[in-house]
Amino acid sequence: MSARYVPVGWTRAKLAYDAVLLLAVATYVLLYLHLGPHLADPARPLDGPTLLMRAWGSAAFLLLTLALAIGPLARLDRRCLPLLYNRRHLGVLTCLAALSHAAAVLDWYFAFSPTPSLVALLSSEPVRPFIPFGLGALLILCLLAATSHDFWLSFLTPPAWKALHMSLYLAYALVVAHVGFGALQAATDPALALVVLASAALLVALHVAAGLREARRDAGIAPPAPEPPWVLAGPAEAIPEGGAVTIRPLRGEAVAIFRHQGRLSAVTNLCAHQNGPLGEGRVVDGCITCPWHGFQYRLEDGCAPPPYTERLATYRLRQVGGEVWLDPRPNPPGTRVEPVAVA
Amino acid sequence: MSRLTAELLLAAAGAYGACGLAVGLLFLLRGLDRVDPAARGAHAFRPLLLPGLLLLWPLVLWRWRVLAR
Repeated sequence: MSARYVPVGWTRAKLAYDAVLLLAVATYVLLYLHLGPHLADPARPLDGPTLLMRAWGSAAFLLLTLALAIGPLARLDRRCLPLLYNRRHLGVLTCLAALSHAAAVLDWYFAFSPTPSLVALLSSEPVRPFIPFGLGALLILCLLAATSHDFWLSFLTPPAWKALHMSLYLAYALVVAHVGFGALQAATDPALALVVLASAALLVALHVAAGLREARRDAGIAPPAPEPPWVLAGPAEAIPEGGAVTIRPLRGEAVAIFRHQGRLSAVTNLCAHQNGPLGEGRVVDGCITCPWHGFQYRLEDGCAPPPYTERLATYRLRQVGGEVWLDPRPNPPGTRVEPVAVA
Repeated sequence: MSRLTAELLLAAAGAYGACGLAVGLLFLLRGLDRVDPAARGAHAFRPLLLPGLLLLWPLVLWRWRVLAR
């Protein structure tokens, strides 16, 4: 947020998240090193360095798959939202696992000649296409990890930052190509191919399911009220106390209508941080709280509480009978609109 | 890729990184406070920015110029 920056805004939830992640990765790598020799083809026993590079490589692939699955999972099931809160730490850990994989490769395959290992990697013959795929993915992962601090979001602007971080999908495609042209070519059993295919298929299925669900929801345009430009936002009792409903006018952004202590307030559905869906959040400590990263805004004017400075567009509401009407024209961000008491 | 091409590529990457280090340090010391009010008085987080500054220094120079106007 726009208060003074800190290296990491630690909370108990973030500490627990990171502890579980680190423990899971350490357990995975140790298990791989321990069980790998027993599971390998006895005719082609694996040496320790090869096991280590495969352990880190597969850990990075699985972490990357998880990082990309969290977004659609959180859209499909709110119980997965806590996985989203600290996803950038997951991304940084993925990058570290990929770097460990690369370091293990350089320390084994290219460490025993007078040629510098990076020169040997790039100029190795015959040409191995999986090397540029892997290097490309590693470069993207490093770039995304290096720009994961909130400073970069503000410095590059949220749309540019978001576009940059969408390149994680390109990194995933490069990793699949890296595995496909590399480890899969030498694999003697179908396990690796199955894991890669199942992971990629799972990601595609999750994104399609989340996309279809959002498309169905977007199809529900709010009908016009008898008096233009107002639109009908549904009955007031349909809005849960401490929660919101999301209304989609014919034109403009979706609007989140919150109910808090029997009064209704409307703000844009897009969080000023990363366009998170505010309407899926809750009122916490009297403030709208984004479900993605916990950014907060006051109900009456859409302003983040001091010392933060983010502001949301607000909207006018009125109640006619038991029905809530919404003026879909946004007020300038931070405009105070008196909440409407539910009759 | 020939050995010469690989060496040239790595030399170019090294030069890019050296420029990035210089720009990054200059930005952290002289530019950051001017372009982002939330960075004023905050120092502990600055080393975390260095890898990104090193990788994106041409973009950093452009944004620095735009934001400093």
